[in-house]
Amino acid sequence: MAARTLLRRALPSMRSSSSLRQVPFSSSTLLQSRAASSSSSSSAIPDYAIPDPSRPTHFGYETVTEAEKIERVAGVFTSVAESYDRMNDLMSFGWHRIWKDHFVASLNPGFSPLTSGPDPRAPQHILDIAGGTGDIGFRMLHTAHTLNGNPDVRVTISDINPAMLTVGKQRSTLLPASQQAALSFVEANAEDLTKTKPLSSTSTTSETNPHTSAIPSNSIDLYTVAFGIRNFSNIPAALREAHRVLKPGGVFACLEFSKVDKHPLFNTLYKSWSFGAIPLIGQLVAGDRDSYQYLVESIERFPSQEAFRDMIVDAGFVVGGDGFEDLTGGVAAIHKGMKPRV
Amino acid sequence: MRPPALSRAAAGASRLLTPRAAWTRPASTTSSSITTLTTTRRAQPNLQPTTASRARAYHASTHPPPPPPFSPTETAILSAAYTHVPTHGFSQTSLALGARSAGYLDISTNLLPDGVFSLIKYHLLTHRELLSSTPLPPTSTLSAKVEHLTFTRLLANAPVLPHLQSALAIMAQPSYIPTSLAELAVLADEILYLAGDVSVDPTWYTKRASLSAIYAASELFMTNDTSAGFRDTRAFLARRLGEAEELGGAVRSVGEWVGFNAKAGVNVLRSWGAPI
Ligand SMILES: C[S@@+](CC[C@H](N)C(=O)[O-])C[C@H]1O[C@@H](n2cnc3c(N)ncnc32)[C@H](O)[C@@H]1O
Repeated sequence: MAARTLLRRALPSMRSSSSLRQVPFSSSTLLQSRAASSSSSSSAIPDYAIPDPSRPTHFGYETVTEAEKIERVAGVFTSVAESYDRMNDLMSFGWHRIWKDHFVASLNPGFSPLTSGPDPRAPQHILDIAGGTGDIGFRMLHTAHTLNGNPDVRVTISDINPAMLTVGKQRSTLLPASQQAALSFVEANAEDLTKTKPLSSTSTTSETNPHTSAIPSNSIDLYTVAFGIRNFSNIPAALREAHRVLKPGGVFACLEFSKVDKHPLFNTLYKSWSFGAIPLIGQLVAGDRDSYQYLVESIERFPSQEAFRDMIVDAGFVVGGDGFEDLTGGVAAIHKGMKPRV
Repeated sequence: MRPPALSRAAAGASRLLTPRAAWTRPASTTSSSITTLTTTRRAQPNLQPTTASRARAYHASTHPPPPPPFSPTETAILSAAYTHVPTHGFSQTSLALGARSAGYLDISTNLLPDGVFSLIKYHLLTHRELLSSTPLPPTSTLSAKVEHLTFTRLLANAPVLPHLQSALAIMAQPSYIPTSLAELAVLADEILYLAGDVSVDPTWYTKRASLSAIYAASELFMTNDTSAGFRDTRAFLARRLGEAEELGGAVRSVGEWVGFNAKAGVNVLRSWGAPI
């Protein structure tokens, strides 16, 4: 704790800079605003699931408007774009790669048995949201093309932040040509997939490419989001968009840091590690304490496994069993839902 | 971070202590769709409170809640997938083909939380439930009815017999052992109930435990049986039931029963290939 205070004094804090305006903490939570608005809403879409730039949301433990959060999250990931792997390592004790492997293996993309007669297989389209630097998308391609021998699988990697996507695109040049050909990168806010832009190769500023297009409804087989959804300003809106773009029978799958409440001792240790040590390490390793502080807080704020499962069901998905699978005692969890057939 | 196999196995074995388990429905309901969850409504003897209540407390606090039954969507995929098991086994291929013929996508099999094990559970549940429509000769003895019902259940494995051993290997995976043993215990309970066993005495537990073990052993025997109509399996089953009946008279005290039961559980696991 003493070290934290010292560091804070010694280094100019990002939080006091003018770009990150502080908003007084308020106790309103997503669920409360949800409950408050759903009663007044008469349309089929609950109010809370319609993005509203002026509505309060959370930025770590601060309350900001949805528009501000989008901006500030972009700031965090631009500043950690190249070092975010380190943060994942710190939060997961290095397990995140194993979790990602398990996540992708359990989804088994591209698995499509042949039967006698004409090839019964349909092309698969995978949308990896908040796909950042391609960690999940590349694994999907490898499993589908190489392990399952199914070249008829395309992956679209999407992120709100062109800096993250540019890192991903750079890394994708190491993949086999056939896999590169099945990849595309688009810039999009997960809460509104009707306005996506192809990643422009010349510049990372979004203004240079004004043409937007929509991801069509009922077009996606598998929607994945790994370590991304807790950053969204409006999670119900993102879930609704996932539901819209998925085909009937299509699958929503989310890998996210979660709650270890079931193991009280581990919970205590994990919290003191994440709240105490990680921002400090972030400061020392990446020189960016506040971004790491935000990441830790955003994990803490994210709903429990059960509450998030209920949000998925509210968005119109069906789930099997509990609807989630805990990894490493709940440090992370996988949630899956299927869009039912109408 | 799974507990070591041994403690899991112990947990699984103790499930035999608590037969009010898993996915039992009233026997009167039809077996075409498995959608409701009720606990066993059978009489359970109010035995020495120490043993019984310890068993129940253990059940409640340590075990995950009983696996939920299948939703209509899961049932649609699983019942279609099951028709592919004779050809493709309990496999991802059967699941995907089933999803396809039920009008879903290959990827839709992700709805099933336990993948291939869900298909195995479907097999176990469906055939247990079908037992309630087995006609029984009204005049036969309790033992004869037990044998008849048990053999009927064994015969239901015939179409998938070449794939049974690999199914048993999956059932013996540490994370599935508690569910598998619970289902076995419920099967034994169901058979005795349908046979008309109404005794509420210390042999209540013994009978269920030994029938579980006998069923598991006979099932394993059957995987290598090539005799016509599985004659040899039936003879094997009849011998084991005869032995148990003799033993049943001897094992009366709870202490003896606990020892017997633990051993039976361990033997079942061993016969499934669990490394204990
Ligand atoms: C921790 S990274 C995860 C990257 C990658 N999926 C992985 O597992 O390594 C979180 C990503 O979420 C993205 N993100 C945050 N808010 C978003 C939003 N509203 N829409 C789409 N992406 C968003 C960030 O830009 C960032 O790239």
